[in-house]
Amino acid sequence: MRYLGKKLFTLIITLFLVSVAAFLAFQIVPGDVVGSIVGEDASPEREQQVAEELGFMENGKKLSPAVRYTRWMKGVLQGDFGVSYRYSKSMNEQMPVKELIGDKLPVTLWLAVISMVFIILVSIPLGVVWARCNNKYLDAVLGVITQTAMAVPSFFLGIILTFVFGILLKAFVPGGYVSYKENFGGFIGYLVFPALAVAIPKIAMTARFLRNSMLTEMKSDYVRTAYSKGCSKRRVMYGHVLRNAMMPVVTFLGMIIAEIVAGSIVIEQVFGLPGVGRLLISSINTRDFPVVEILILYITFVVIFVYFLVDILYRIIDPRISEK
Amino acid sequence: MIKIENLSVAFEGTEVVKNVTLELKDGEILGVVGESGSGKSVTALTMMGLVSETAQITSGRILFDDVVLREAGKPLDKALYRKYQGAEMSMVFQEPMTSLNPTLRVGKQVEEMLRLHTDLTGEEIRTRVLETFEAVGLKKVKEVYASYPHQLSGGMRQRVMIAMAVILHPDLIVADEPTTALDVTIQNQIMELLREINEKEQNAMLFITHDLNLARRICHRVAVMKDGCVVEQGRTADIFEHPKEEYTRKLIEAVPSRLKKRVSVMERLYPERYGEKPGEKNEENSEEREKGIPKIAAVRDLSVYYRDGNRNPFSKKKQHCVVEGASFDIYKGESLGLVGESGCGKTSLSKAILGMNPLISGEIKLETIRPQMIFQDPYSSLNPTKTIGWLLEEPLRAVGKLDESLAMTAEDRRAAAYDMLHKVGLEDKYFGRKPSQLSGGQRQRISIGQALITGPGLIVADEPVSALDVTIQAQIMELMQKLQEEMQLSYLFISHDINVVYKMCDRIMVMKEGKIVEIGGTEEIFSNPRQEYTKTLLKNS
Repeated sequence: MRYLGKKLFTLIITLFLVSVAAFLAFQIVPGDVVGSIVGEDASPEREQQVAEELGFMENGKKLSPAVRYTRWMKGVLQGDFGVSYRYSKSMNEQMPVKELIGDKLPVTLWLAVISMVFIILVSIPLGVVWARCNNKYLDAVLGVITQTAMAVPSFFLGIILTFVFGILLKAFVPGGYVSYKENFGGFIGYLVFPALAVAIPKIAMTARFLRNSMLTEMKSDYVRTAYSKGCSKRRVMYGHVLRNAMMPVVTFLGMIIAEIVAGSIVIEQVFGLPGVGRLLISSINTRDFPVVEILILYITFVVIFVYFLVDILYRIIDPRISEK
Repeated sequence: MIKIENLSVAFEGTEVVKNVTLELKDGEILGVVGESGSGKSVTALTMMGLVSETAQITSGRILFDDVVLREAGKPLDKALYRKYQGAEMSMVFQEPMTSLNPTLRVGKQVEEMLRLHTDLTGEEIRTRVLETFEAVGLKKVKEVYASYPHQLSGGMRQRVMIAMAVILHPDLIVADEPTTALDVTIQNQIMELLREINEKEQNAMLFITHDLNLARRICHRVAVMKDGCVVEQGRTADIFEHPKEEYTRKLIEAVPSRLKKRVSVMERLYPERYGEKPGEKNEENSEEREKGIPKIAAVRDLSVYYRDGNRNPFSKKKQHCVVEGASFDIYKGESLGLVGESGCGKTSLSKAILGMNPLISGEIKLETIRPQMIFQDPYSSLNPTKTIGWLLEEPLRAVGKLDESLAMTAEDRRAAAYDMLHKVGLEDKYFGRKPSQLSGGQRQRISIGQALITGPGLIVADEPVSALDVTIQAQIMELMQKLQEEMQLSYLFISHDINVVYKMCDRIMVMKEGKIVEIGGTEEIFSNPRQEYTKTLLKNS
């Protein structure tokens, strides 16, 4: 319990610091946001109206960054993430950031979930089989395959997958993204392929990592003890080595999860997915700072939260840690 | 009965075990002694079927009750071996911490033996494990059962290992340096336990050790190995009292022992103070004797603290007292021995003297510039990427950086490094080599050179010979004494090996739980220890 409290405390402090940094950073960036929204010919009244709407001014007076940060933060804490500079909901209403991200988030999260399922289901058995294999040809083949999979850039992998599954096998319609709101089955069916593009390099890395970790563990003294008891290699591998070898792999998987949940920018682009990664890029390009700020907070939160989960998992696997 | 007949084992064409023939009868403890690289462990591992798959049996065979387990030219029959491993023959390893799986409860690990070789049910298995735990002298067996290895002490872990080895009452137990990683008092208990098991179960035991004293205490017969060959084997008493081979004699000779005459550097340095008549020396008060000899270090009421491991900046800092109120002097040219069990504060005390721990109270007065240290493990304490020359010059560079006036030119440093290389008994050709190209003894010579090159008057030597083979050990101790005389050095000599301390030291300081319980001249301490604790320490070694 004390441990949880400590972690929560760190999480809050980190998010606070990041939010201040993110907010301040975009105050420094030059450029007239209001002007670029209303256009050059707009009347001063219109300009002031927009500025007040966006929270730059109040009753005709400019507000200091400190005041705006406090208001913004208050809003964020109450679930009001502000409005986008760029996207409009209707003629006279800017799009709330919450709705904007809320639309994109499920795409990224489902992509992450499907990729992780692939990664975990394939890489762990692959790593174990690879570590166990005595056949040097199989060993070499796996080495070459994983190395290739790790080295190929993901956009290229995306293109190949589109070509093979989309154009040759017609397993999905390239560019034919189906919204989860319309047809959830079709949505998942479409996501399988981008998820593969995300997962394949990570599968290769994780399998390789697990294999190396297992081979290192195989040299440990306790493995010799297990053999001296009359354990078969199979039993030694699954009963003794796997758990110990998983420890570094869990950290690695945590890093991967954090990376994917934060948004796979390239893959979303290649497969035309309206996810968080693409939103981030377009918001940065169009200086849509409220969106960028919230996305930064989101990514920070995801990374810290995943590491927290990894930490807990670590404690479950390795009894030595919780007592230190 | 287990027979090893004419066994030779080769790794990539190099034979490391050559024509070894050993025989083990029921109820007999056979000791295999030898220095590292003598092939004793490979012989045992081959017998157990645990030697790595790259090893080839080039001649001979292994028989277990007339069943051929292994034969030259035939591959390892894993399925056959698995029936014997654990059930008929089991092994106790050197390092009980790493030899147990860190992520499994020890009870489960012992249970595995029964699950592999018997058809007992879960409840029967548990009962049997608990019974065996009791039989090997573990207390609170249920708690032990549910513990992870790191929650147990070294001695308890080794008892768990032994429980695992005996639970199926095998005909053969192989014990590979089973007490080397343990404290002296624990060592003794484990030795007794092994002897008891042997007497009760009447099984054969192969006891592998580099420690001749241990072999002498427990073994019925002893085989001496060197370079893969058995040079001599016979009844323990015969081997130790009438060794036939030159090597055996050398090995026995090299073992530090209280029965041999001590060489005292102090006596040579201060002949007028140290009795010419050896008989009188013992009765003389050691305090009296040291008067007039300059002190190199005076420690008064020293306490050393450590912060608790918690690095959280918000939790309260708790200071842990590891050394309490230590007061002692070290005289010029003297070796002061520091003995005690692990965790008694030996290392903390020495670190405080070296100035490596700022959390102290009390006073340390040194009559010398920075004291230096010689470490235990010459394998890990030398940077493997540097050359020997660079390593020897490094302390000089460091001193030059700290104090401009002591800075030396590159040539001077080089000359000093060559000079030191000669002093520690190595030739010029080693200057450009890397530590990995040197043997353990040579590396320890470099460590000594590193410590001495800045000319400190005081050296803290933390178990400097514990990682070395007996013959090398003797050479290094000789070197240390020679240099001590030449350079008028003082050593604070930390060791768990009472016999080594006896050989090296003029005075001995005994520590227990952070306190110095006794200080006195070596002869006084050995002949007339005042403290109960000192007596147990001496008795156990």
